Amino acid sequence: MNTALQSSATTPKAPALPGFEKVRRFWSPHAARWAAKILPGEFFVTAHDEVITTILGSCISACIRDPARGIGGMNHFMLPEDQTVGRNAWLEGAGSLATRYGSFAMESLVNELMKLGAERSRLEVKLFGGGRILATMSDVGAKNIEFVHRYLRLEGFRIAAEDLGADCPRHVEYFPRSGVVMLKRLKALSVRDIADQETRYRRRLLAPAPPEDVELFA
Amino acid sequence: MSSCLHERNYNRRLPGRPTVKILIIDDSTAMRMIVRKTLRLAGFEGHEFVEAEDGAKGLAAITAAAPDLVLSDWNMPNMTGIELLEKLNQTGVKVPFGFVTTEVTPDMRQRAAAAGAHFVVAKPFTPESFRDALGAFIR
Repeated sequence: MNTALQSSATTPKAPALPGFEKVRRFWSPHAARWAAKILPGEFFVTAHDEVITTILGSCISACIRDPARGIGGMNHFMLPEDQTVGRNAWLEGAGSLATRYGSFAMESLVNELMKLGAERSRLEVKLFGGGRILATMSDVGAKNIEFVHRYLRLEGFRIAAEDLGADCPRHVEYFPRSGVVMLKRLKALSVRDIADQETRYRRRLLAPAPPEDVELFA
Repeated sequence: MSSCLHERNYNRRLPGRPTVKILIIDDSTAMRMIVRKTLRLAGFEGHEFVEAEDGAKGLAAITAAAPDLVLSDWNMPNMTGIELLEKLNQTGVKVPFGFVTTEVTPDMRQRAAAAGAHFVVAKPFTPESFRDALGAFIR
């Protein structure tokens, strides 16, 4: 298909799957596709030929797809600071807030893909982020990387590609239909905004769990 | 397979028992580990844990291990958690059953309650979530 001829006028926007209606989507001229932009704490899955984009500081994005079905998605998460167990050692900290939250973020994405028909054993994972973007912050990115590596090893998922760590933010564009990732390491100029956004996200993670997380039936 | 056998096994009153056998069904190895650890953090120490990685294997484990309580994920390959509970109902197997699940919609709550689930705990849960949900079943 000649992508030069594609536009928002000629390419209808596929409806977002239930639960993903609030994710902002826009026409990306250079990708010649509709793009979903996810923010910290969000994730998005699609069965259509579109692009998912995000900007990462110390957060991690897992880009996961089933190559046989052409469906995939991306999350964007970080681990909350856990003062109850200290360092997020995996086995010792399996009940820790950090591990519970990180596993929830990963499982949410995998579950939605499986609901679309993805086969767990076929899932291909690409990882990005975990940068050390501010020298004054503790190395949150390294903890996020350690978590996601251990989680994926335990779950038996294969990592097809990754670009993690270093001291830069990243702009990621993921094409789930093909598995292609367009990655741009950003300059320090953009660090402050990204760090502020992640700090706000981190504060939200520390807020008490909503009371409706348990429902007892009579 | 006789369902009467199961009813006899599962109708025991739980709070009086010193040790409770808990079956954790989840397709995520990490999540099964986290559930087990969080139960311990919630104060449910000294109990026996059995694990299964999907609904179909959970069904087999219920037959083989006769658990006192089942904690099941909802979305799983082969047989989902709610399909498992509905299957137990069809075959007359009675075992206290609760969901620990990533996604909780009003429809899911309604279907879980209608099938006789005792509770739904949403991930990412806390030790307090488990104390609230399981307090009636385990000491």
